[in-house]
Amino acid sequence: MEKSTIVCRCEEINIEEIELAIKNGARTFDDIKRLTRCGMGPCQAKICMNPVREIIATYTNTPLEDIPPPRLRMPAIPVRLGALANGVEDFKESSIASVFGESVEDGDEQNDESV
Amino acid sequence: MEADVLIVGAGPAGISAALTAEKFGAKVILIDESFSPGGQLRQQTQYFSNLPTGYAPDIGLKVIETLIKHLYASSVQVYTNHTMIGAYKNGMIGVTDGNKTFPILARANILAPGAQEEAKIFPGWTLPGVMTAGAAQILINRESVLPGKRAVMIGTNNFAFTVAKQLHDCGVTIEAFIEEKSQITCSDGILRDELKHVPVWTESTVQIAQGTGQVERVSVHTPEGRKEIDVDLICISNGFTPILEPFVIMDCELTYKKHLGGWVPLYNEKLQTTNPSCFIAGNAAGITDLGPILLTGEIAAISALEEIGILNSEEAEIERRKRWLELEKLENTAVCQARKNLIASSRSRQSPLTKSK
Amino acid sequence: MVMNKMTKVFDCIIIGSGVVGSSIAYHLSERKKYEILLIDKSYPLSGTSGSTQAWVWVHSKTPNWYGELSMYSAELYAYLEKKIGDFEYKRTGGIAPFYNEGDRDKALKLAEEQGKVGIKIDVLTRDEVLEKEPAVSPKIAGATFSKWDGNLNPFRLVELYIRAAKKNGVQCSFYNRVTSIKKVRGIFHVETEQGVFQGNNVILAGGPWSKELGKMLGVYIPVRQVRGQILITEPLKPFLKYTIGGVRQTDNGEVLIGYSKEEVGYDRRTTLDVMQQTARMAIDLVPALAKANIVRAFSGIRVIPEDGLPIFGEIPGIKGAYIAVMHSGITLSAIVGTLMTELLIDGETSLDISRYSLKRFSNLPNRKI
Repeated sequence: MEKSTIVCRCEEINIEEIELAIKNGARTFDDIKRLTRCGMGPCQAKICMNPVREIIATYTNTPLEDIPPPRLRMPAIPVRLGALANGVEDFKESSIASVFGESVEDGDEQNDESV
Repeated sequence: MEADVLIVGAGPAGISAALTAEKFGAKVILIDESFSPGGQLRQQTQYFSNLPTGYAPDIGLKVIETLIKHLYASSVQVYTNHTMIGAYKNGMIGVTDGNKTFPILARANILAPGAQEEAKIFPGWTLPGVMTAGAAQILINRESVLPGKRAVMIGTNNFAFTVAKQLHDCGVTIEAFIEEKSQITCSDGILRDELKHVPVWTESTVQIAQGTGQVERVSVHTPEGRKEIDVDLICISNGFTPILEPFVIMDCELTYKKHLGGWVPLYNEKLQTTNPSCFIAGNAAGITDLGPILLTGEIAAISALEEIGILNSEEAEIERRKRWLELEKLENTAVCQARKNLIASSRSRQSPLTKSK
Repeated sequence: MVMNKMTKVFDCIIIGSGVVGSSIAYHLSERKKYEILLIDKSYPLSGTSGSTQAWVWVHSKTPNWYGELSMYSAELYAYLEKKIGDFEYKRTGGIAPFYNEGDRDKALKLAEEQGKVGIKIDVLTRDEVLEKEPAVSPKIAGATFSKWDGNLNPFRLVELYIRAAKKNGVQCSFYNRVTSIKKVRGIFHVETEQGVFQGNNVILAGGPWSKELGKMLGVYIPVRQVRGQILITEPLKPFLKYTIGGVRQTDNGEVLIGYSKEEVGYDRRTTLDVMQQTARMAIDLVPALAKANIVRAFSGIRVIPEDGLPIFGEIPGIKGAYIAVMHSGITLSAIVGTLMTELLIDGETSLDISRYSLKRFSNLPNRKI
């Protein structure tokens, strides 16, 4: 197939770019993702997951079953930030720190932790 | 929100699970991301005869209509436009309705997200007018929109023939089937016969789809040389693969089973995943037909109820075995065998059904 | 493949190919004196360096000599980009907002301290912040601001470090976990899944895995693992000019959001709890983000030395063994790579680095291996 064929339509990554990443030592979908942005777009690899795995399999002569899917992440579908922020009335504890807050605490990081 | 059982996905498997769990006395919440329950069965106009006891053979959208009627007559709380997007630290499933995001507290979860169609790449596959067979089916059967006038179908599996036939019935000219393998893979003789006027190009692959702003032409590499035809629709039927996101979010282990559609969550004969609070049903547990899909919903519900003590183990075992026996009769042999292998491999895991962080 | 691994003795073996290890590999290789091997248990960017907001953050780093080190690194990035290629370094200027007027005195004190080492900080009023960055919420009381802060693309940076290092002859062995390190007659034997490599010098650059690497040499590395969870929006029209404490916009329009801290070991899962807290923080800071779609969340495991300050230099008591581990690897990689190269090859550094020595922890009461 022509090397310029698009594989990841969200980020417009083609076969050549994926093969180059593999040539540079990438072995998993996630390796390729970090090098090329393949699978990082709005669909989060839902479409290109298996085409990319097939390219890795062919290029590295590895059985398809030995090539794991990319790390699938939350949120399972895109969600508006506002919808994410609403719904939990009060956070019992917060893990959010403040850049400013840290700088004025004389390096005492313990105060920023909530575990 | 609280329930005994939370079911994610209101396709045939999810509804079947919900009705079964409710029948045995559980408080059930059923969520689905769509505006309506029914899942992909809502656009299936083909006839299904291989159904479990208690189901009358009918076309897909009638089967689901009946199920939905039962669902709304039951005590199951149905939330449409509710999507599982993640999980909380304590293992509770998080759901959004588009305005807020909140946990649903359930003693057991049944995940039935279904399957998605496999893409197929070739030069020009991103042009408008190139779509999956399932997308074309939604357009004609649900939206009443004709996706094109002259089409080729890539793939010759049962779904390819099903959709080609439906397109043909809507007046779309199917110019050809394009098949990589040396023969047609569709096992349905009647369907094949109904479309016998359509040429099938075996050992053939799409070289390129071309057009300005929309597909206009497709070139196909065939054993007889290059063939080029004018089309405005290219349908891809490259099979289905289980939707994995909800399972990964819930820390369920995955395994690879080609005959079940590729990567699939690992589960035991109770349809329990490696996260003991999560059960699996439907196409997510392996791509199969409607009959087995409905039965996995029932089995998952029975197991979930056993897990939380609503059913005792003996009752559950009897109910489960009945359904597994029926499932074996209805399911394609290769799929059923792959399922058995998967269940056997879950048994041989070193620390069965417990997973460290 | 790395040849002659049984007999060859490398001048330097670097363990860990994150932003710190790959920077050291690149900077060392620029001198063309050393034969260098870079080893990683996985593939570059699979760890902390590939899961970061990638701020090059200077102005609020205290004490001020640590701020100064960060400033020098920011200075170097501008030149580095000319040598190894475009890694989207932008000195956008950084805004660290505060929400209580009572914090203004603290801000002024910070500005005074950092001013002593040449980091100019403006303490802004609410209106001044909003004039600079209209998208920020009027709920803030003010902010500290400095031109020194910015951000970069960590994927490009690490890739370019490694590409340049390879061009200079550095050998790389990825997907190869180190299982033990022994020193035999002055030579380090680094045992890996793919065989033993020998080196005259060894540098531990394992980030959050430094503790394990230290154990192999019998040294306690006092670091903690702190998870951070980050949300990413769909690409949005450019609307944030500055790097804001907690939020930044990338070149392709995505907004990265997050500043959470949890000590959960190597667990890299994200949780809706923190994602929702992060979402609320973001809306409190930049209200317009409420309408943006979040397409992905990810987490990274920061490595934070017990006193918060970088640890780099020779490991006390083991000649030829070095360490470089720090929280702000993205900010500091350029200066740390430079100083480590001077230390190894010249035997002296252009800045005094004794403050950063592991030695400062030698009196730790609960020192354990």
